[in-house]
Amino acid sequence: MAPQYKLTYFDVGGTAEVSRYLFSYGGIEFEDVRIKRENWAQLKDKTPFGALPTLEHNGKVVGQSVAIARYLAKKVKLVGDDDWENLEIDAIVDTINDIRLKVFPIFMEKDEAKKKALIETLKNDTFGFYLPRLEAEVQKNKGYLVLGRLTWADFYFTTLSPMFDLITGEDVLASYPNLKGVKEKVNALPVIKKWIEIRPKSHA
Amino acid sequence: MAPSYKLTYFDGRGLGETSRFLFKYGGIDFEDVRIKKEEWPQWKEKFAFGQLPVLEHEGKQVGQSIAIARYLAKKVKLAGNDDWENLEIDAIVDTINDLRLKLVPIFYEQDEAKKKALIEVASKETLPYYLPRLEAVVKKNNGHFALGRLTWADFYFATISRVFLHSFTGSDALADYPNLKASRQKVNEIPAIKKWIETRPD
Repeated sequence: MAPQYKLTYFDVGGTAEVSRYLFSYGGIEFEDVRIKRENWAQLKDKTPFGALPTLEHNGKVVGQSVAIARYLAKKVKLVGDDDWENLEIDAIVDTINDIRLKVFPIFMEKDEAKKKALIETLKNDTFGFYLPRLEAEVQKNKGYLVLGRLTWADFYFTTLSPMFDLITGEDVLASYPNLKGVKEKVNALPVIKKWIEIRPKSHA
Repeated sequence: MAPSYKLTYFDGRGLGETSRFLFKYGGIDFEDVRIKKEEWPQWKEKFAFGQLPVLEHEGKQVGQSIAIARYLAKKVKLAGNDDWENLEIDAIVDTINDLRLKLVPIFYEQDEAKKKALIEVASKETLPYYLPRLEAVVKKNNGHFALGRLTWADFYFATISRVFLHSFTGSDALADYPNLKASRQKVNEIPAIKKWIETRPD
């Protein structure tokens, strides 16, 4: 029987990896569709708002990586026990997303000098502002980002953090042992470790 | 008795207004704290991530406007009936936010020539991409942004569209989008919201 869920994204981790992790964690079968960049132009207008990832289920299609991840997190029980706990998770996820929004445009910058300057600002102002505060949250939460236990916020951070190293060419979490610990803990979960081993080799 | 909720934001609508609408809609008492821009520097350090809005309740503090709105929407029953319905609402809210984020740089651009170029892109590419698609969603959903009925997504568009759509085009950006316009109008006419609009400080 075909998997009930189809996740479509590019052939990279990016903003879809958190959902691939969640599917794997929950043992939920999913069709892991990876679009080649050269085919994107013709597929773009078939998506709800010209963006990936999309999730298909029971004939319906939705976009938005964080919304999809939140939905899957509920299915695999990596959420809060009540509305306030879910608010706390959502707030940390949105904060991590705020970092991603500052990182992402820099990849697009073609002017090398400008790019270098943007990376410096990223390191000093963005990472310098957010990472110490996130580090403090993890210290306060026994090695997790929120609620003192494993939630989808930890998956979200883990799967986006490779972007930080990619843009700077540095080990950005080197001076943040607690944040690094979150990433290592998540990636060492047996089901996640297995996913990392079996995911397509083309995965960047 | 003091309200059990305190919402802190700047003295304007911006990203705080969706939550104020939700509080008012649900008849939930809240302390509507407004910080003047000049005073912000001394307040900034009181909040974990130095940003507004912040919601305080039972001694705890959280930030992030959309997360706060989602929480309040559940309290006032403007959320989905199951996880997939909530996903549909979340997805359209995030899409409206994506549109907002694409337009925000225009406000901050000081260089007139660069600003003009950004407005050009917004008018020729961004708005023509998003607005017709949002219009189609609302048409398909009986005048709402999701699930064929009133949800917090309607409140989100009604409040956020004021922030980004009018300030830079100078004209009515929704002129050609009757369903989007009607949805916003309908939200503003909800009695509790109408009353709030008449009495709010700004």
